[in-house]
Amino acid sequence: MINSMLMSVIIAAPDGGEPSFSIAKMMAIIVSAIFINNYVLSRFLGICPFLGVSKQLDSAVGMGAAVVFVMVLATLGSWLVYHHVLVPYGMEYLRTISFIIIIASLVQLVEMILQKFSPALYDALGIFLPLITTNCAILGVAVLNIDDKLSLGYSLVNSVAAGIGFTLALVLMAGLRERMETADVPEALRGLPLAFLIAGAMSIAFLGFAGLGG
Amino acid sequence: MSIAQDFSRGIMRENPVFKQALGMCPFLAVTTSVENALGMGAAATFVLVFSNFLVSLFRKVIPSKVRIPSYIVIIATFVTLVDLLMNAYLPALHSSLGIFIPLIVVNCIILGRAEGFANKNKVLPSIADGIGMGLGFTLAMVIMATFREILGNGSWLGFNLLGESYQNQPMLIAILAPGAFILMAFILGFFNIMEKRKRGGAR
Amino acid sequence: MGEIIRVGSMLMLVAAIAAVALGYVNSVTSPIIAEQKEQAKLDAMIDVAGSLASGELMFDSLSVPDLANPYAEVDETLAVVSVNDSAGVELGYLFVAYGKGYSSTVQTMIAVNTAGTLTGNTVLYQQETPGLGANVSNPARFLYQFDGLNASSLLLSKDGGDLDAITGSTITSRAVTNSVRNGLDALSAAGIIPVSGGAQ
Repeated sequence: MINSMLMSVIIAAPDGGEPSFSIAKMMAIIVSAIFINNYVLSRFLGICPFLGVSKQLDSAVGMGAAVVFVMVLATLGSWLVYHHVLVPYGMEYLRTISFIIIIASLVQLVEMILQKFSPALYDALGIFLPLITTNCAILGVAVLNIDDKLSLGYSLVNSVAAGIGFTLALVLMAGLRERMETADVPEALRGLPLAFLIAGAMSIAFLGFAGLGG
Repeated sequence: MSIAQDFSRGIMRENPVFKQALGMCPFLAVTTSVENALGMGAAATFVLVFSNFLVSLFRKVIPSKVRIPSYIVIIATFVTLVDLLMNAYLPALHSSLGIFIPLIVVNCIILGRAEGFANKNKVLPSIADGIGMGLGFTLAMVIMATFREILGNGSWLGFNLLGESYQNQPMLIAILAPGAFILMAFILGFFNIMEKRKRGGAR
Repeated sequence: MGEIIRVGSMLMLVAAIAAVALGYVNSVTSPIIAEQKEQAKLDAMIDVAGSLASGELMFDSLSVPDLANPYAEVDETLAVVSVNDSAGVELGYLFVAYGKGYSSTVQTMIAVNTAGTLTGNTVLYQQETPGLGANVSNPARFLYQFDGLNASSLLLSKDGGDLDAITGSTITSRAVTNSVRNGLDALSAAGIIPVSGGAQ
């Protein structure tokens, strides 16, 4: 998907230093974002869609795909704007406001493009797109990429992995909730409380990945 | 509806966290200590009051087609304001709330009140609504943080309550991520029971 | 078309007002933020250097040729400050160690005397897990063990040394321990402090 010219831009270090892109660091970022510091279960980002769209497996997969898609585009846009517009002009304080505008307009743009050129994909993802603007995992990954001083290449890797981690949590949650439909749950815990209990159990399981951090 | 009702509604009856399940991300993430809960509550209330105020003030000027983007810009402005002021005057709190300060922008409570209330109401009720909802959010976070800090660290607002021996072997799970989800499940379950009792009693 | 321009310019206006207002606030707060960061660092220096000697101390940034940078991996550099008493006698050195922990780069300010023995420390910054790694900021949990050690004895018990890691936070403990040891090794390699222990 990424052509060679873009690839060379991505691999170059942010401050024009020597190209630095180690597979080891890339793997560390991927494992961390998906398992160890899972955006939903350990960082608490994207809880609203996690609870709201996890009632059925189909919609969970659709939402996950839409999040990965927007997350990568938002990371690309926000990283370029931050390092090539805000930093050179000393306007880092406009980070939050410019990132949210980038995300909101990206979501709008993606919606329009999909509607026009790929109605099939639009039918699959369309209803989830408006919800994504206020998904804090998107803004979260954009901000964390800057805070962690990641280069563009690592930022993109991080955003794909974060999106996959989000999708994984969402799909697991949906699978569990579908099964719980028929279970005999105490009346007081039906609905949202049960969803939180399931999330807690999943979070304990993900805590076990902490040892992978090495 | 009177201003007093606009104010009190958000605190208990329509509490944004317990009754509407909004603003979950910061609620679960920063309630590891009461101090963080108060700090986040104050920051969110500040943003909420001023965004409600401006949205209400300009509700007839902002074209309805671009109202959501305009609200987001207004909210993001006040979030950045809080971010800068907190960094300058409360650096320790700023560093422990970390990424959740910029993320106030996407807190659904704030956009929700702009779109659901300030958009349709006069300035004073909107401010009252903002203060009430902000206090409700803060109260919910303090309740949650009280459980988590006492169980997970043996202290409340930094004061050691349960002694050194507990602090060396606390119930760690409460302060870790799973504890947040599980405690929230029980708090919501408790509210469900209360609601049922109330309905049962009325009958 | 006129509608789009009207609506668009309205949005532009909102954004422009916001940007100007924030620019003003930023111009007011940024010097305060910078000054307060400086002050916090200075307070930490005075606090940590107090472990070397009491009384009036003088700080001087030390420029060392051939000083290796053990912190390149986390995009930081090793900077050394020498601590002198009022008569100008060198008592020891301060430096900040940067170690990649579980979810942040932990910054620890370290005081070491001219013999290469650690005398004091304080955590300047960490964003580790509350209840676990974040306990590194509480000296009684971990860092109290550092005083009186030199580079050769800075090892966790899990790595063959004597230091007890914070329960459930081996990664954070190891990050701090190794970052401090690497800093000390760089200082002794540059001839500032003696090579420790004779074990190596």
